Amino acid sequence: MKNIQAILNIVLKKDIFEYILIDKYFKIVNTSSNINKYSKEIPQMGVEIFDYLPELVGLEEEMENIFTHKEETYFLESICKEEYYVNISIDYYDENNLLILLHDITNITITSQKLLQYSNESILINNTLEKILNNQNALLFCTYENKILYSNAQFINYFCIENMIDKDVENLKIYQYMDEPCHDYDTLFEYVNKKEEYLRINNDMFIVQATSLNCSHNLFTLTKVTKLSNEIQRDLLTGAYKKTYFDSMVIKKIKQKDNFVLVVLDFDDFKVINDTYGHQVGDIVLQEFSVVVNDNIRKQDIFARWGGEEFLLLLKYQNIEDVMQQIEDLRDIIENHTFAHIKGLTVSLGVASREDNDDIHTLLQKADQALYEAKKIGKNKVVFRK
Amino acid sequence: MIRKKILLLGDFSVGKTSLVRRYIDGAFDDKYLTTIGVKIAKKYFDIEGVDYELIIWDIEGSTPSKKIALGYYKGASGAICVADITRKETLEGLKEHQKIFLNENPKGKVVIAYNKSDLLSEAEKSKISLDSNTFFTSAKDDSGVEEVFLRLMRQMIV
Repeated sequence: MKNIQAILNIVLKKDIFEYILIDKYFKIVNTSSNINKYSKEIPQMGVEIFDYLPELVGLEEEMENIFTHKEETYFLESICKEEYYVNISIDYYDENNLLILLHDITNITITSQKLLQYSNESILINNTLEKILNNQNALLFCTYENKILYSNAQFINYFCIENMIDKDVENLKIYQYMDEPCHDYDTLFEYVNKKEEYLRINNDMFIVQATSLNCSHNLFTLTKVTKLSNEIQRDLLTGAYKKTYFDSMVIKKIKQKDNFVLVVLDFDDFKVINDTYGHQVGDIVLQEFSVVVNDNIRKQDIFARWGGEEFLLLLKYQNIEDVMQQIEDLRDIIENHTFAHIKGLTVSLGVASREDNDDIHTLLQKADQALYEAKKIGKNKVVFRK
Repeated sequence: MIRKKILLLGDFSVGKTSLVRRYIDGAFDDKYLTTIGVKIAKKYFDIEGVDYELIIWDIEGSTPSKKIALGYYKGASGAICVADITRKETLEGLKEHQKIFLNENPKGKVVIAYNKSDLLSEAEKSKISLDSNTFFTSAKDDSGVEEVFLRLMRQMIV
């Protein structure tokens, strides 16, 4: 018992605790000597505790209960009193009095406050950054170990993703839309990190850029340029790609050593159409023809206008028979299509496949030669040249 | 004199301390200093000849990882639930703050402060509908502060 008293004396001496005794009417009957430090108001004997500790307002019922249920106690943590922080506890003292203990926790609370301040500020900065990212027009996403870890609101909206934790996100393989053979995000990063690349998703064209974050995370930016790209790269009358864009894609495919065929399409007897129906109808036929072709080629195929009534196709293939069948089907579709202003239309098609020594000029030459043969053997034909 | 305890509740950094400071001292400082625990402020006023002492509990804001200690809610007659009008997540948190408060104090009264309204244009404000217990407030330009406290007091003494 003596030991406990000695410890208590030391604790009280170090000002860790102060106390107030109050009676059943909540009036102060006694205090420890240093209690004044917690308030500008000096607690006077006989004065209601609420004048000194307004924190206890509203707890009248709880305090009354302590008199009848001695084991009950009431506790308030981290109360700021002047420049101090205290925990306040209210306990049964004797049948007439309650003991209010004020435990000085200033040092530990100030340390906690610094941590809390740091943490809250971090959350605020994070929220601000997220707002900035979400306000970007570009689609942004961050990958780690070949999985999409984060994406901004534009990305989520574009791909109609409701929940980023959704497993579907892991299966969203953006790199598969690239013309370049990328088999994961790391290879996509390697590819686009060196220079800007175009990526086509459905009918939209994006510029893809990549940045490394902390060496472990990769940030990809997809800037939509569909409108701009359409204006620059599309033929105004037909909506087909321009020859310049077509050429750049052919050069790219040659460099990549892709298996593809280059097709030259030429209207049969277009002059007759122009002479019979006029040039205005001729233009409408060109437009209608372009719609028919676009509707019957694959997404990755490139359809361009060379000039006049001559068009080009770039078709990647894995099996040459399959792609030749696709071209034959297209010829057949055009032949059987009902055009709005003319009785009918046929096209001749010259096809050339890329061989190891080919460049764009030899390829065009071969396809053109094949077209000449198609015309020569009666038009409305497909002729293939290796 | 009648004493009434009220709480300021809301997520961290919505401006609870600034509202109290504006209301009590008529001052404002835009430096953010996190409140930890509770700080009490007092305001005396008279309504229809009756003296009141308002005990205002400026409570630390809740964060995603730290909720407000339930002990603070005990014996409160009212609460001002505060949100930062520019932070959507703090607006979404208002319902939760109200719910906890009314669970602990079923007879308690609640008013809402859409704080930092100085950051919104008049056009933006006009798109937000307010009921009679919801106010745009700004501790910075001293708008709506007196009104929100007064509304709560009137609610509590009815």
